[in-house]
Parts: sequence; C-alpha cells; structure tokens
Amino acid sequence: MLACLCTVLWHLPAVPALNRTGDPGPGPSIQKTYDLTRYLEHQLRSLAGTYLNYLGPPFNEPDFNPPRLGADTLPRATVNLEVWRSLNDKLRLTQNYEAYSHLLCYLRGLNRQAATAELRRSLAHFCTSLQGLLGSIAGVMATLGYPLPQPLPGTEPTWTPGPAHSDFLQKMDDFWLLKELQTWLWRSAKDFNRLKKKMQPPAAAVTLHLEAHGF
Amino acid sequence: MDIYLCSKRPSWLVDNRRMRTTSDFQWLLSAFVLLYLMNHVNSQRKETPYDLKCTTNNLQTWDCSWKAPSEAGHGTLSEFCIDNRSRSCYQLARTNIEIPALSRGDHEITIRSLQDAGSSTSKFILNEKNISLIPDTPEILNLSADFSTSTLHVKWNDKGSVYPRHSNVIWEIKILRKKSMELVKLVTHNTTLNGKDAVHHWSWVSDLPLECATHYVGIRCYVDNLLFSGHKEWSDWSPVKNVSWTPASQPKVFPQDKVILVGSDITFCCVSQEKVLSAQIGSTYCPLIHLDGENVAIKIRNISVSDSSGTNVVFMIEDNVCGTVVFAGYPPDTPQKLNCETHDLKEIICSWNPGRPTGLVGPRNTSYTLFEGFSGKYVRFKRVEVSTNESYHQLLFQMVPNQEIYNFTLYARNPLGRSQSTILVNITEKVYPHTPTSFKVKDINSTAVILSWHLPGSFAKINLLCQIEIKKINSVQELRNVTIKGVENSSYRIAVGKLNPYTVYTFRIRCSTETFWKWSKWSNKKQHLTTEAIPSKGPDTWREWSSDGKNLIIYWKSSAFRQLTKPQNKSSFREDFSRQPQLRLILWLFNHIEPKSCYVQNDLQTEQAVGMGKGILLTWHHDPNMTCDYVIKWCNSSRSEPCLMDWRKVPSNSTEALIQSDQFRPGVRYNFFLYGCRNQGYQLLRSIIGYIEELAPIVAPNFTVEDTSADSILVKWEDIPVEELRGFLRGYLFYFEKGERDTSKMRDLESGRSDIKVKNITDISQKTLRIADLQGKTSYHLVLRAYTDGGMGPEKSMFVVTKENSVGLIIAILIPVAVAVIVGVVTSILCYRKREWIKETFYPDIPNPENCKALQFQKSVCEGSGALKTLEMNPCTPNNVEVLETRSTFPKIEDTEIISPVAECPEDSSDAEPENHVVVSYCPPIIEEEIPNPAGDEAGGTSQVIYIDVQSMYQPQAKPEEEHEKDPGGGAGYKPQMHLPINATVEDIAAEDDLDKTAGYRPQANVNTWNLVSPDSPRSTDSNSEIVSFGSPCSINSRQFLIPPKDEDSPQSNGGGWSFTNFFQNKPND
Repeated sequence: MLACLCTVLWHLPAVPALNRTGDPGPGPSIQKTYDLTRYLEHQLRSLAGTYLNYLGPPFNEPDFNPPRLGADTLPRATVNLEVWRSLNDKLRLTQNYEAYSHLLCYLRGLNRQAATAELRRSLAHFCTSLQGLLGSIAGVMATLGYPLPQPLPGTEPTWTPGPAHSDFLQKMDDFWLLKELQTWLWRSAKDFNRLKKKMQPPAAAVTLHLEAHGF
Repeated sequence: MDIYLCSKRPSWLVDNRRMRTTSDFQWLLSAFVLLYLMNHVNSQRKETPYDLKCTTNNLQTWDCSWKAPSEAGHGTLSEFCIDNRSRSCYQLARTNIEIPALSRGDHEITIRSLQDAGSSTSKFILNEKNISLIPDTPEILNLSADFSTSTLHVKWNDKGSVYPRHSNVIWEIKILRKKSMELVKLVTHNTTLNGKDAVHHWSWVSDLPLECATHYVGIRCYVDNLLFSGHKEWSDWSPVKNVSWTPASQPKVFPQDKVILVGSDITFCCVSQEKVLSAQIGSTYCPLIHLDGENVAIKIRNISVSDSSGTNVVFMIEDNVCGTVVFAGYPPDTPQKLNCETHDLKEIICSWNPGRPTGLVGPRNTSYTLFEGFSGKYVRFKRVEVSTNESYHQLLFQMVPNQEIYNFTLYARNPLGRSQSTILVNITEKVYPHTPTSFKVKDINSTAVILSWHLPGSFAKINLLCQIEIKKINSVQELRNVTIKGVENSSYRIAVGKLNPYTVYTFRIRCSTETFWKWSKWSNKKQHLTTEAIPSKGPDTWREWSSDGKNLIIYWKSSAFRQLTKPQNKSSFREDFSRQPQLRLILWLFNHIEPKSCYVQNDLQTEQAVGMGKGILLTWHHDPNMTCDYVIKWCNSSRSEPCLMDWRKVPSNSTEALIQSDQFRPGVRYNFFLYGCRNQGYQLLRSIIGYIEELAPIVAPNFTVEDTSADSILVKWEDIPVEELRGFLRGYLFYFEKGERDTSKMRDLESGRSDIKVKNITDISQKTLRIADLQGKTSYHLVLRAYTDGGMGPEKSMFVVTKENSVGLIIAILIPVAVAVIVGVVTSILCYRKREWIKETFYPDIPNPENCKALQFQKSVCEGSGALKTLEMNPCTPNNVEVLETRSTFPKIEDTEIISPVAECPEDSSDAEPENHVVVSYCPPIIEEEIPNPAGDEAGGTSQVIYIDVQSMYQPQAKPEEEHEKDPGGGAGYKPQMHLPINATVEDIAAEDDLDKTAGYRPQANVNTWNLVSPDSPRSTDSNSEIVSFGSPCSINSRQFLIPPKDEDSPQSNGGGWSFTNFFQNKPND
C-alpha cells in the first residue's frame, strides 16, 4: 500500500494534465498536498492502532468515546458546516497550517514520553511526515500568495509534562490528540480537494476536449 | 484484631479480656455485697444516708456520693466522717465529696444527715477495692489526613500528669466511615504514663482513599495501674472528629497514579456529583460499592502486573468519564552477578543482571546507584534511551589513584522498594585487557622475529601475561606464553625464536595479567615469512641413464627447501641452474654419484600389483647385501623410458613400503621399480606394474570376422591399449545370438537369456575364436567385451551371416533340371511315335479356299462397292470410335448447387471490380501465382487475381455444345490420341497454341492447366479462358470434369474441402 502510494506520488508529475509546460500554477502542489494528506491518514491509522494499544483498554476499544477532558489547547477540527463553507481559501489554509503546527508540537511531546523504543520510532516517523505536510501547505500558500501565519509571541504551543496532569488525563490528551489529528486530516483532505477543483483551469478542459474531438 | 493485639501486647497485659472479666466479676460481687448491705441498712434504717459510691479518675482523689434520706430536703447538711487514725469530718450541703485517696484497707465512713428533725447516721466500710477507676474522657487534639497516602493522623494528650507514673494506658481508637458512621476499624494503642502530659500520635492508612468518604475518629482509654486494687473501667468515647474532602465540580478518581505491589488489593473510588454507571479496570468491569452521595468505589483484589503504560481504571459517568492509572509491579530484585573488572586499570566496569523485571517503566523504573565504600564516591546508572540488552546493565567507575581494593555496593530502588548487592574486589586481579592492536612482526634473523603491539592501559605496576599463537601452514599451531612487564606507553615488544627459516608463519597474540582473570580477545593475525638461511641438508636425489645411454639424468627434490620452491617438484640437470641457489650443493652431490655402477640389470619378471585406497603396498624380502637403502621409483607406464614421476627412499632394514602420491589416479598403470643399494651402487631388484585402483576398460576390443562358413565363424580381435584398459585384463566375454541387424538387440547381456550364448575367454593371450555349430545362411549378432577386476568394458557388436550350404543348393537345382529333361525326352518320344494321330487330331488338312472358284467374288466386299451388298456377312468395323460423354455433366451441376453456396455469388460484383474485390466467403478466389504466361498478361494486365465461381467453373460441362464450338480440340472429354483438330477458331489463341502440341500423345485435358496448382491454391493460366481449373491435373480431370457417377454419392466432400480451403485463405483479408 505504501509502495503504491509512493509510486503514485512519484508518477504524479508525469500526468500530462498536471505537467503542463510553463507556469504550472498551484494545481500540482495542491494535488501533492492532497495526496500527502491521504497518505498521512493511512499512516495515522497504523500509528493510532499501536499507540492506543500502548495506552491500554479502554482506550483501544472501538466504542470508547470519552468527552474531551483537559485537551482544550488542542486545535479543534470540527466546525459547523456553514462556517466551513463560508471560509475563504486563505482562511482555510491558514487554519490548516496553524492546526498542524500545534499538532506537530504535541506529537513531539508525545514522542518524548513514549515508553517503548518501537513507539518512539513510529512517532518520529509520523512527525517527519507531518512536517512534510506542513511544508506542503506552506508551499501552496506561497503559490497562492498568502502569507504564512506568524505565531503570536507567548502562544507557541509547548508540551509540558505537568505534574498536575495525572497519567490518566495525559492518556486522555494523547487519545484526543490522535483523534483531532485524524479529524484534521479528514478536513484537510476535504479542503484540498475543494481547493484543487477550484484551481482547475476550465480552459485546459476545453482544449483537451477539442483535441479529443480532433482525433 | 484481637489476635493482633494479643501478639503485640506486653506481658503484663497479656489478656485484657480475661483481666476485664475478672474485674467485672469482682465488681459484680462487690455490688452484690453492697446491695445486700444497703438493703440490710434500708431495711433496718430507712431514714439514714445510703448508697455510698466512690470512684476515682486519677487515683489521687476519690469522688464519693451517696443518697440522702428521703426526708432530707434540698440543702440539708451532711457530715461525712472518715474514721481512721485521725478522724476527719466534712460538713457539706451536698451528697458527694471528693476526698483524698485513702490508704489501703477498710475505712469506716460515717455519714450523718443533719436534719431539722434530728440526725440520722449511716456507717459504711470503704475500701480501695470498692473504688472504680474511670479515666477522664480523652480528647483528640488533632485529626489530620494525608490524602495522597490515605493516611489519618490522630493526635491526643494522655494527661499523664494526673496519674501516677508508670501507669499503662490502653487507648482504643475507632474509625468510622461514611455519614452512617460504619465502623471500619477499632484498634488499641498502648502507652505508658510518665507522670507528665504527653501528646500521642497514631496513624492509620485507609484502604479506601480518604477523598472518597468522610472518616470519623473517636478515642477512649483504660488506665491499668497495678497498684490500684479497685475497679478499672474504660473512659467514655471522646467526641468524634472527622476528615472529609471537598469535591471539585469535575468527577475524580482516587488514588491517582498509584504504584502498588503485584498481588495486593486496592480500592478505587470515584467522587462524583453525578451517577456513576460503571467502572472497569483494564477491560474488566467491576461491581460498584456505593458510598455517600453518588460516590462509588471498586475493590480490586490480587492485582496483576501492569502494562508499560499502567493499568487504566475508568469510571463511566453519564456524559463523562473519569479514571486513573495504577502501576502494579515488583520492588527491584537484588542485583545479580554483580561483577567489576577493568580493561585498562583506569576505569572500572561494573555489570550486573537486574533479575526479575519490575514491570515498571519510565519514571517508575528501577534506579541504580553504585557506591564505593572506601572512597565514598558513587555513580548513578543512566538508562540508555534505546537499550538493546535489558538483561545486563553496567556502570563505569573512574578508578581512584593508588587504590586497589574497592568495596562496591549497588543500590537498586523503585517506588515499591529497594535492594542492594555488594562486591569487594582487588581491581589488579580483575583485569580484562583490551584487544591488542597495531600488531606487527619484524625479523631478527632467519629463526627469530620481534612481535610488537599496542595494549592501552596503565599496566606499569603489574606484569602482563601474553600468549602468542604461532602457526605454520600444514602444521599444528603452537602457543607460547610470555610474561612482560607492563609499561606506561602501552607499546610492547617481544622476541620470538625457534622458528624455521624461510617459512611462512601466522602470528597472533592475546594478553592477560599475571594474576590471571581473563584473556583479551585475539589480535589480528599477521602472516610473516622468516628470512632464508643456509640449507642444512642436501636434496633427495636420483639419477638415471637416458634412453640412449649417453646422458645421465640427475633428479632432486626441492621439498627439503620447504614450501618456498615447488614443493613436490623434481628438477633435473637439464633445467636452467641459473635460478637455483642450491647449484653448488647439487654439484657436490653429483660428485658422489657413481654412474657406472648405477644399474645392475637383472633378468627380472615383471610383477603385478594392485593398490589399496590411495596407495600401493610393495613388499620384498630382506636382503642383507643391501646396505644403503632401497629406492622405489615409479612412473606412468604410458610414458616412454626413462620416465620418472617420483621416487622414495626406504631404509635398508625395511621390507615393505606403502607408496602414496597425490598424482596417483585410478585406472592408470604405473611401473614401480625397486632398487637396492649396495656399496657399488643401485641394483634393480623388482619391476612391478600396478594400479592404484583398477577400473573397467573404456573401450571394447576391435574384432573382425576372419572366416565364415555355413556352420562356423572365426572371429579375431586386437589388444586393447593399456591406457584404455585401465586395469589388468582378466578376459573377454563373447556373446552371440541369431538376429538381424535391425531386429536383434542384444540387451541385458548379463541377464543370462537362453538364446544368447556366451563364451568366457580367460586366456588373454587368445586372440581368435571359432564359433561352430551355426546354421547356414543365418544372421548372427556377435558381441565382444573385455573385462578387468575393475569391471566390464563396453561392448562391441557385429552382425555376420553364415554362408549357404552349396551341396543342397546344387541338388536343388539339378533335380528339377533332370526331371524336366526327362519329361521332355519322354514327351518327344511319345509325340514322335504318335505324330500321325496328333496331326489328325489337332492339325487336319484344310482345303485351300483359293482353289474354290465359287467364292472368288468376295474379294472386294469392303472396298466401298455399293453394288454388291447382299452377301455381307459382317458389318463394317470403323477404324476410330469417338465417344462423347455428356450425360455425366448434368448431375455435377446439381451437385454443385446443392453443396456450395458459391452459386449465390453475384457474378457482377466479382466482375465489376476485380482489383478491389475483397474476397468474401461466398466467392473463393483463385489466386494466380506469378508464372510467366503471355496469354494471361495480355488479357488481364497486371491483375493476378481472378475470381471464379462454381457456375463459371462448370460452364464447360454445362454447355458441351458451346464448348465444343469454341474449343473442339482442347475441350474435355475423350479424344483419340492422334486426333488432330481441324476446326480451330481464329480468336482462340490458346487453341492455336495447342495446335503445336497435338501431335503425338496427349493427355485427356488441356496440358496448360497443369501448372503447379494444388487444391489449396487454385489458379488459372488464362484469365480469359473459360476452361478454368484448380487443383492438380488429376483433380481437374478426375474430380471436376470427368468425375464418374460414383462421385455423386459424396458431393459434400468435394465442395466442403474447397470451401474450407477458401475460408482459411480468406481469413486474413476479412
């Protein structure tokens, strides 16, 4: 599966519709970002399984759905549909960028406290991929001419192994971190898909149609 | 609880219950006596004070009270007198009094009630035994709770100042839980009063976290003074004090992040404002224990070891969840196999096995501290992030200068406990040196080298023991131990002697200390060639005369010069000596050779020998004349003399020698020569040919048939060359049987078939064999094969036919000839004698008709004279008969219509566009090959493809008259062989061409249509010609046009084959 996705990614530039000469526009980078999002979804499924097993039952039980306790600092991915529709591209990308910046920071904290080496390796691998997604989003924003959001001083997300935080609440945070991450990836896939369709130049479609007719 | 108390109680209070029981019994007895006395008094004097009771709470004062007479009103004075040595009376307006404690013994107490109407007096006997000791109610000074440890701390004052010293006090503390005040614990606590007020502490760890429910504590005491003989009673319970936890708005579970021992019991509770639905530990649900309000608890018994992230305890609340994590594990095991050693006397490495896993990881993992007792230094174990070997831990401890003895204690600690392990080492005896590096070898001379290596470490104060491994090729390794004084610079050198010159050695080294602990690992191997030395011994030599006897060939073995030159090679004088450093030595040897006495040829029999395994054993009788030694030389027998593969010298006292050589090969014949040495030279004693191992011959003997008769065959064969014999020839096997060349296959020669005759020829000198008793003119299959002890060789076979028996043949010819002659002679005689009769019978005389005048008019009957026709006796026979067969053509058309859809083919389409016509299945094309045909080219231009359908094909038959008009000469049908056409049409060019060919024999059909056609490739030679044929001439004539009526019976086979052929031809064009 991984190899397949990698192959798809590798051959993406070879797709004629995405490989136009001249200025390719934001299309290819949006497509890549979208593909990377889907890949991260796949990767997260594997990581979450491992990590939830590490947390132990009931966290790894499929019907375990605890309320969001103490995870207020995590960026929420869920948003009202109307609100989501009303977002413009810049706001969409900015929210994505900010969310993954925070989530990446929390993930790194998660990596530091993981007890087993195998878990640490998996988390480090995912962090690297997430870093890549962050870079891709930044690239898309740069292509579209949107400035990167600057973190307000003092609001940098930091992972603190607070003593007041009990182990159970920490586990709940970890659980919610993975859950939010998954929801954000879903939302991002939707966002990028929407953006991709929006950025698709209609002229190219006409040209292709005419060419096909010519044949 | 009681048992616990009993075991912990001092001896003087061994049995509190019994003591209390005894005290109660005395009290009851006293009360009974007192009651009796009072009743007695009351019965006697009802108007006097009565019911005197005295108690004490401090043993120093007694509180006495009594009841006044019934007549006495409130405020009546009473006089209380104690009659002892000094009578003391107290007047008081109440009915109780506190008096100092009286001494032991009975005291008479007189109480007189001073009433208006007079006085009434009562006397009482007061004894200490009648006094009850009831301590004051104790008071809890402070009750505090440590919620993190679920511990209650109780603090109270024993008020010891009011009691005599050394009074024992028993405190009874009760723990009540929940608002319903359920007693959960009742414990006693013993103290001793020391005459001063003292504050006592008592702590209690609750199994239920204190946050879960309100806990109440009460206390009472019992003073056990041995000097007091009265009744002792428990004080009243103190007022209870409680501890409670103020719950937060969010539900919370207690205890949080607890680390407990595996197998212990633990209670978790959830403090919640809302109803708790369920609780689970891990994935196991637990029954809820309801506490005050909505708080619940669960009790876990015998908890099992936790996973790495701990065991989750979760309480499910409506729309919420709360939980905690518990870590169940073990205290650290005692570090096992603690061992401390050093590699370099600079740093000590202590390693140990942590033993049983604790089940606790991360911050709860076991921490280790290595403490050195003499220096007071310690190091802490830092867990490696990615530990590959969890079974062994190690710590590095920097050595203290000038300290050799180290007392190490390794402390292990985790939240559940601690353990330790100790080792005392003299570190100079625990040296495990590093692997020697930079190992080098240098020459000293041809038999000695210097080894140098680098061994890091501060070994200046000790001696090193090093082991050198010396290995020669094809030799057993040698180990030499050397002791070296340790140096500071870590570089060591040592000389190694007793080596062989010009020899390749492989050295390696390892070291330890003189007080051996462990060898280091071996250093890298170093190969070294020692320098050359003067040869100590001459070479092994042999010499032979050359075949012409003019030259003497000297051989020597260079193996004496070790393996540096060619090890097993021999050289001879014919070689170039310029590169032989031993030239001078060889010449010296040469001078000692006496060529003239080299060979003493004897008349020797050549013997045979067969080896065993890899060698061949030669034996001989001891000859006392042979004083020097024996020499056995051998060579491959296939080589021309003089040949020498090798030789071997054997001491003169030997009588056998096992000759072995890597050059020996099985199946090869070797010549062995045994020479004995006497003073005058070598003498050939024995000549032996032999094989190391015999093999089967690889060729069959060549044999020929020398002579063949009617009943015998003489076979002759040749010898097999020695190289192909591969063993000593033991004989031949000759097989023969009847059989032709093509049919007879003499297989399974060994199976002993009865029809195969075998002759075993064991006389190997025999080269011919006559096989007799054969049948004449019969083919025999002969097979010959040779065999050795190594097996049967391949076979060679031959077929021979014996000669015919000539006598019989002659007889067989002569007898019929003789019979025929006799018969002829007899017949001739008979005919001659009966000639008249024969003439009359078979050849009577006939009268000559010419002589008959009456018949002369018949001469010109057939000469066309129409006038004389009356006497014709025979009809006129024509010279030629022409038969025009037309009847058979009509059914053919019918057949074609039935069998083929070709009839439906529109002719127009095929004619309209012959060039562009794509062949369809209805109209199989007839493709003409490019053969030179002027008529075709002329008529059809470049077109090589014509189309024919069945109608056109059968047109000639369907219209015989028309065809006859067009092609009277070339048409189908019977024609006389010599018939010449006389009505050729002008426009029929083909017919004109045929004119030239009509002379002489002609086939039934047009010869031009015989052009190399086949049924698969129908063609036409003339596109304009209506006489179109396809297939072979035979098929044309016999099947299509001259097909007999029987062909009508199977019309489908004809049309079907054609149709399929065309279908496949058309296939690519579809």
